[in-house]
Amino acid sequence: MYAGSRKGTPLAFVLAVASGKGGTGKTLVATNISALAAAHLERVVLVDCDVEAPNDHLFFSSVEATNVRVEVPVAKVDPSLCRACGRCRDACSFGAIRVLRGSAVVFEELCHGCGTCMDVCPRHAVHEVPRPVGEVVVGPVAGHDRLVLVTGRLYVGEVKSTSVIRSARSAARAITADLVVIDAPPGVGCSTVAAIRGVDALLLVAEPTPFGLHDLELSLELGLKLQLPMGVVVNREVGASDEIDSLCKEKGVPIVARIPFDRRIAETYARGELLTDTLPAVSEILAGLPEAMRALASREVVEQ
Amino acid sequence: MKSIVVASGKGGTGKTTITALFTAIASRRLRVAVVDADVEASNLPLALSAKNVSCTPFPGGRRAEIDENVCVGCGLCAQTCRFDAITEGIYGVFVVDPFACEGCGRCAMVCSRGAVVMKPTTAGKACVGESVIGPIAFGQLGPGEDLSGKLVTEVRNLGHRAAVQHRAEVILIDGPPGIGCPLTAAIAGTHVVIAIAEPTASGAHDLDRLAGVAARLGLPVRVVLNKADLSADGASRIREVCNARNLPVIAEIPFDTVFAHSAMALGAGTSGLVADGSPSLRAATRAWQAVESELGLVT
Repeated sequence: MYAGSRKGTPLAFVLAVASGKGGTGKTLVATNISALAAAHLERVVLVDCDVEAPNDHLFFSSVEATNVRVEVPVAKVDPSLCRACGRCRDACSFGAIRVLRGSAVVFEELCHGCGTCMDVCPRHAVHEVPRPVGEVVVGPVAGHDRLVLVTGRLYVGEVKSTSVIRSARSAARAITADLVVIDAPPGVGCSTVAAIRGVDALLLVAEPTPFGLHDLELSLELGLKLQLPMGVVVNREVGASDEIDSLCKEKGVPIVARIPFDRRIAETYARGELLTDTLPAVSEILAGLPEAMRALASREVVEQ
Repeated sequence: MKSIVVASGKGGTGKTTITALFTAIASRRLRVAVVDADVEASNLPLALSAKNVSCTPFPGGRRAEIDENVCVGCGLCAQTCRFDAITEGIYGVFVVDPFACEGCGRCAMVCSRGAVVMKPTTAGKACVGESVIGPIAFGQLGPGEDLSGKLVTEVRNLGHRAAVQHRAEVILIDGPPGIGCPLTAAIAGTHVVIAIAEPTASGAHDLDRLAGVAARLGLPVRVVLNKADLSADGASRIREVCNARNLPVIAEIPFDTVFAHSAMALGAGTSGLVADGSPSLRAATRAWQAVESELGLVT
């Protein structure tokens, strides 16, 4: 049945929800399709990878969540061993080491934790210490059997979003599931890539505005570069969206759903509620999305 | 010269629309330059019709490449890599995933055969042009590239130079969403952060985190509640955050489709819209006047 995932739990279909522009409706789509799929007897893991602004948890109340700190290794120099030779500084590709007052000093925010400086230090004066940059919260969701929420959260003041995203995804892989839904951060940079790399299919949420069109084009470009099977959801549609339609046609990416502009959707979302109870018609549009994306992904596998 | 950054933790709250309108309102009395610091989804040039744009490539970090004719398949590079960027390919040689490589060069250092080459990359481009209002600087990160924070800094530098030439009294910066590296690069060293919040559960949560970052950098935050009448419950959540953090709300802009259209109309040169004003446009004008008087821009 399933296209099969390249990585992770056997049988789990991994679907990422992303967009270049912020606020197009990623969280709306990701939370609602997860809850709907779980209601249809699928074991679902929803992974909030928008670690700078994680909001999925606001739509659910989780029970008995476990909280694991995300730590990244950063280099630390022991000044009593360091002879200020500068080899670590010269080897560092990130400009994270300076030599000041007779000892090398590491600027932790710039350190990627690659370990190169430890390799080159002739006096073994460099070691690594863990730096907490965020947390991953995992827990079942009250009122939604079979749904597990994994939330990645970057600590305020930290910048290593990608480390938190990778940790959230690896926590999700440890859970047996039929469907994994990843709520990706906005943009097309390294954070988005960390969230969507190696997924089975990519669902792009676009709004039919000049800004939305421009940013959808960038997202499509990224998806094509990563060779991911893609589908587009047009959100807040008012009348026809000719420009989005022709862009998708040009790129050979199907539009898999259209959500009409409806103030009630915005109001429901604003309250932190799912659409299931208040707007069954819209729920129906979203309920079919995982299946549509599975079909799309398996078609691409056959074609290859 | 005062620099003002428009930011929001959450995406899609109306940063670009409000930046464009602030620019239009400000330019009636002041010389203004603008910077779009959202290099992953740069939309301000669309709203302000950037013309005569010149761009320069922005160099990225290095990226490892393995020469398959030299690699003997020992796998030391893959063992050493901290970013899981190197895997065994089908022919017994190792390959680098360019999207995972962070360019540290450790693999090149440990490879005894010299099969790993560190190649320079282009992360994106930094651009400067003319808008309907004054000079505009912006950038575009290549899809999947790293370093958006550094590109933001580059774009801000370009914008600053253009602003000095233009003898601008104000630089308006349209910030990126989030609270990570690009956001920090966009707000550092500005005079005031205008946080655009929407009255949703998400909006309150993300405003709180943005205010946390600004506080660490010692920057004053003023809040504009956009789409204010969308949800009374959501609006009170925003006010709670503002009360708890002592953040002044300088305007509440009602939910209004005319509003977003006015920002686009600016680019077409019909900036008269701003003066005529719906309730939302009048609220945006009040917000800008509050910023002006606070920064001593009123003469």
